[in-house]
Amino acid sequence: MTTVESPPDSAPSESAQRSTPTEAELAAARKRARRRASSKNWALFLLFAGPNILLILAFIYYPLISNMYYSTLDWRLGSPTADPVGMSNYIRFFTSPSGLEVWRVTAIFTAGAVIGSMVLGLLIALVLNKKIPGRTAARTAVFSPYVLSGVGVALVWMFIFDPQRGALAHILAAFGIDSPAWFLDGDWNLVMVIIVYVWKNLGYCAVVFLAGLQSIPKDLLEAATIDRAGAVRRFFSIVLPLLTPTVFFLLVTNIIFSMTNAFDILRVMTPSGNGTNTIIFEIYLQAFGQYNRAGYSAAIAVVLFFTLFIITAVQLRFVERKVHYQ
Amino acid sequence: MRNSTLSATWKGTAVFGMAALVLTACGPDTSGESAEDQVADTDWSDVEPADEITFATNHPGGSEDQENELIEQFTEETGIEVNVITSGADYEETNRWFQTGGGDNADVIVLSDATWFPNYLNGALAPVDDLLEAADVDSSGYVEALYEDYLYEDHHYGVPYARSTPLFYYNVDHFEEAGLDGAPETWEEVAEYAQTIVDEDIASYGYSFPPSNEYPAWGLANLVWGYGGGWSDEWDLSMVSSDATAEAIEFAQSGVQDGWAHVSASSQTDDFSSGVSSMTIQSTGSLGGILEAADFEVGTAFLPDGPAAEGETPTGGAGLMIASASDPEEQLAAAMFVGHMTSAESQAYFSEATGYVPSHQDADMSSVYEEQPQFETAVEQLDRARVQDHARVFLPGADLELAETLQDVLSADADVREELERVQAEFEELYETELADELE
Repeated sequence: MTTVESPPDSAPSESAQRSTPTEAELAAARKRARRRASSKNWALFLLFAGPNILLILAFIYYPLISNMYYSTLDWRLGSPTADPVGMSNYIRFFTSPSGLEVWRVTAIFTAGAVIGSMVLGLLIALVLNKKIPGRTAARTAVFSPYVLSGVGVALVWMFIFDPQRGALAHILAAFGIDSPAWFLDGDWNLVMVIIVYVWKNLGYCAVVFLAGLQSIPKDLLEAATIDRAGAVRRFFSIVLPLLTPTVFFLLVTNIIFSMTNAFDILRVMTPSGNGTNTIIFEIYLQAFGQYNRAGYSAAIAVVLFFTLFIITAVQLRFVERKVHYQ
Repeated sequence: MRNSTLSATWKGTAVFGMAALVLTACGPDTSGESAEDQVADTDWSDVEPADEITFATNHPGGSEDQENELIEQFTEETGIEVNVITSGADYEETNRWFQTGGGDNADVIVLSDATWFPNYLNGALAPVDDLLEAADVDSSGYVEALYEDYLYEDHHYGVPYARSTPLFYYNVDHFEEAGLDGAPETWEEVAEYAQTIVDEDIASYGYSFPPSNEYPAWGLANLVWGYGGGWSDEWDLSMVSSDATAEAIEFAQSGVQDGWAHVSASSQTDDFSSGVSSMTIQSTGSLGGILEAADFEVGTAFLPDGPAAEGETPTGGAGLMIASASDPEEQLAAAMFVGHMTSAESQAYFSEATGYVPSHQDADMSSVYEEQPQFETAVEQLDRARVQDHARVFLPGADLELAETLQDVLSADADVREELERVQAEFEELYETELADELE
């Protein structure tokens, strides 16, 4: 195949000028093509993602931003009028004795619930990781409280804790111990709901820990055994370091869950929140309890949102770097 | 680069600005204007009742069938259709439903003695005096103390419907075993009888006080009034820390310390019904449940007298309110409906099925007395009914403060006078922050 090339110094003919696009025209055409492709991509994106984005905007971001706006109002629930008060609701929550009490209760409940669930969950996972008869049934039994209704769990435990007729009172009486005033004393109230929350959630921790334990290479443990490392040494030198991703995952999720998912148990077992008003329960009590403080409640909700936001950010940015991965 | 950053900033500002505008439009009015009172300006002689109204109810005392029966009667008599909305399982849920938007849908709503006042402050309730008159409902037939519960600033904002009072319950079998003759008439006798029962080892406790979730400020109002005290004297909040109030609470605290009384863990009804204790005070509405659960003979009596006053009985339960958001036509139909539901015949029927006391003086309860003679005590006791103290029913959060304080004081060795002074300070702060601007 031969091609005839024009001399480089010869001027192009008129027809050649019309048929050969200039660089500017080519660039414009490329731009138009890119725009068409981009428009097409955007159309496809909006077609598939648009409905979801609209739903997320309507049901997550709109309420979230609305709540932030309400948190700047002195507003009684149901009132058609409200007074703008700026940051007063936030200042009140961070400085009033009742607000500080909420932080104290939340800290104790979270620490008790997270440590209790994780320590007991790990111990149970270690047992369930052994080849013992009825292991599958035991795993099911341990996990089942996690999927039970919190309301049902709370009602059953109320019968157990009843100091007059409860099973626990009878067991304690057999040892000559009087039942504590579980429902009447604020401190015992808090201990009671922590016990119930841990009982309900340790199955989740046990199952996650079990998955972590089963991913530990057996050759490492066998090598350690050959090197005469005892069970305790193997646990602290091999098992626990290799479980750190699981530990930190559970730590973060348990902190978040204990701050947000305990409402059903708290509401049923201690309806007025005597000593158990954690931050999530306080949001409810302030708005829908006797006070009807919708604006103040909204401010507490915003504080909870940012608290969880920070915990999650710390987990993503800091904790993961410090965790040992295989 | 700088331009694009600026552009993003401006876009962000614009989005937030738009969001603020939208939120301001959708949220509460921050201009400070209150809702208009339609009722006062309406010439009711020109208004025709609506053909259809909506009734929001939690079916107090499991009364769904009875309410439907009464509604059918009403529709037959007037031709007005009534749409029923089950607005919650209890008074608190119904109140929440109404406060969070239900007011736009309901014409008549069931609200309790402790929840109607915030709705009044929200401007959500219509005064019923003129409405009842326009609907030819004679309000003079209601039990006065029950109707006066809804009186504020010269207007009534509800009509007594599913009403109750506390009643004194005692275990007749325990009393016979202890050689006690009849119910105690004074609080001193309550202490004496309870001590005898404990000394004779007949029951663990002679008397059960209510825990914080069983409205102890309601159950103990009779004791406090009996000593000449109270939770407040209208808006004089110093009454709660007066010597008389403190003496009454000290008497109750000494009962727990001496062992003749205790504070129930979850419900005084359960402790009494199961024989853990021999006496308690609980709502008349609990009579049916107690008779069903108890395997002993249950006695009922008037609330005990105190050293300073005869056994006064606090009122309780719920009333029927008319929504201010409804049109005048709907409000007039609603008033006719309210009149029907609270007539002497309707109240006798409703009371017989639920255990609530009839709110109409002319309700014929003779057939109920034959089956449940204990109920007669509850109805006769209405002569001693007294409207509740402002602090408990009107001051947001005060009942909760009282409930937690009473539970703490009775179940521990806390200094009563110090605690009541703290409660008074708390009441004053609540009044200043929650009510003062609107009431003054």
